[in-house]
Amino acid sequence: MYGSDMCALDRIDLTIEPGEHVAVVGANGSGKSTLLKMLDGLVFCSSGAIAAFGHTLTEDSLEEPALRREFRSRVGFVFQDADVQLFCNTVLDELAFGPLQLGMEPDEVRARVAEVAAALRIEKLLDRAPYTLSGGEKKRVAIASVLTMRPQVLLLDEPTNALDPRSQVWLLDVLREWKAAGRTVIIATHDLTAAAESCERMVVLSEEHRVVADGAPEDVLSQRALLLSVNLIHEHEHRHGGIGHTHDHAHGHTHG
Amino acid sequence: MIPAVAHIGDAAPRRRAGARSVARRTADAIAGAVGEVLENDRLASLPGLMQRLDPRMKAVSIVLLAVVTSFVHSIPMLLVLVVATMLLAAASHVSVGSFARKVWASAGFFGVLLSAPAATAWITPGPVVVALGPLSITAPGLLVAGRLILRVAAGAGFGLLVVWTTRWSDLLRALGAMGVPDLVVATLAMTQKQIMSLLRTVENMHLARESRMLSAGSARENRGWVVERMAFVARRSMKTADDVYDAMLARGFTGAMPSLVDLRASDRDWLWLAATVVACTFVLLIDRMVFPL
Repeated sequence: MYGSDMCALDRIDLTIEPGEHVAVVGANGSGKSTLLKMLDGLVFCSSGAIAAFGHTLTEDSLEEPALRREFRSRVGFVFQDADVQLFCNTVLDELAFGPLQLGMEPDEVRARVAEVAAALRIEKLLDRAPYTLSGGEKKRVAIASVLTMRPQVLLLDEPTNALDPRSQVWLLDVLREWKAAGRTVIIATHDLTAAAESCERMVVLSEEHRVVADGAPEDVLSQRALLLSVNLIHEHEHRHGGIGHTHDHAHGHTHG
Repeated sequence: MIPAVAHIGDAAPRRRAGARSVARRTADAIAGAVGEVLENDRLASLPGLMQRLDPRMKAVSIVLLAVVTSFVHSIPMLLVLVVATMLLAAASHVSVGSFARKVWASAGFFGVLLSAPAATAWITPGPVVVALGPLSITAPGLLVAGRLILRVAAGAGFGLLVVWTTRWSDLLRALGAMGVPDLVVATLAMTQKQIMSLLRTVENMHLARESRMLSAGSARENRGWVVERMAFVARRSMKTADDVYDAMLARGFTGAMPSLVDLRASDRDWLWLAATVVACTFVLLIDRMVFPL
């Protein structure tokens, strides 16, 4: 609930298996980001329960140092707004922040930082202050800052937002690599193309904050009436020369 | 058919000739402030004398020089210190012209403001040099004022040298290494980052307003708008603070801000510190022995 009477998510019943790549899609305000924050133990439900790795996630249980350490080392969250996520002085400090918080030895942290920086091609940025980076560079650094923790589960909130086409392709390639590596990935997005290309399961949230579909992307995307009702596509009317016609128009970057 | 709301208006925007709106002035000022921060980062990355020093040693030596400056009485020795700041600036690839302008803009303004009363016969009696009606400027008064202005100039120069030749991140690390609590250092780091982010937000808000304004607007309208935007930015900064804290928790924040960077002082840094101590001693000795009060 937001405040006393505003519902953020309603009657959500969701189980995600290890290694699954799941896209949570829905219009703006449907509750996607809130769901990810709940899965990361940052906000908690007013009724019901969330469990991960055999533990129930509550404010109290995550206060317990051993569980908090275990949970944070296994779940990484890439925020929608990279400016929020990059709070350290330099990119190097940013990448090292998570592993150092987990109590890892500096030499091991240095090795991880070097490995991730090379993989994401951001070695030249290590000495820079995050606020001097471009939007695409910030996104890479935000993702790298989570990858240095080597999480088993990655939560990504609108990962393709504010990315230029080349960076979007790069991100989709990264997601495929994670899939091959057996990582669990949960993406919140309204970009149906990215969701369909990177995930094998699609969960649709309605504007009433409920799950209204849960299945393979091809099955979900074939339900035109459903997608129209949840405001993920809309009818688009335009003309080619003298001939006018109507077709569906998806949010994000697709024309289909 | 094009809906009425999409029609392009016929009237060209009219603006008072020569008038720059509050929005434009504010946006320009913000762009200038952001540019200045980025320029500082560029200066701090140059391979100059001060940039090569360990930030802790640099901070300690500059504090020492600033303290000695406050004890020096003679005008010639204060002039030596002012010249020293410029030589250090030149050795650090800092433009002496822009350095001097920056120092004297603050030293000139604040120094004159603070020392002006001391130059008058009311505060410092003595032989009158200039008489402006009831206001008399005395020779000892001018000496006191000159001493104060030169002290401010030398002190501001040393301070500016540290700021211009040290990256903000290194300066914060130096503070941490010198015993300033992690929480204070982390707060300073995030404050600077958020100020940059909010500055860009404010700049865009002003430009967005300007793009829809047909005239500069009245002073009253502009004041009202600025107050509303201040409230918006305050609310937004509070939300950002919550989001940043969530982002820190998500990566296991435990209350400490450890860093991978180890600050290690080299022989050159120790040599610099020793040279500074010797120079400070000489300056004080000459000030006391050659130019006694």
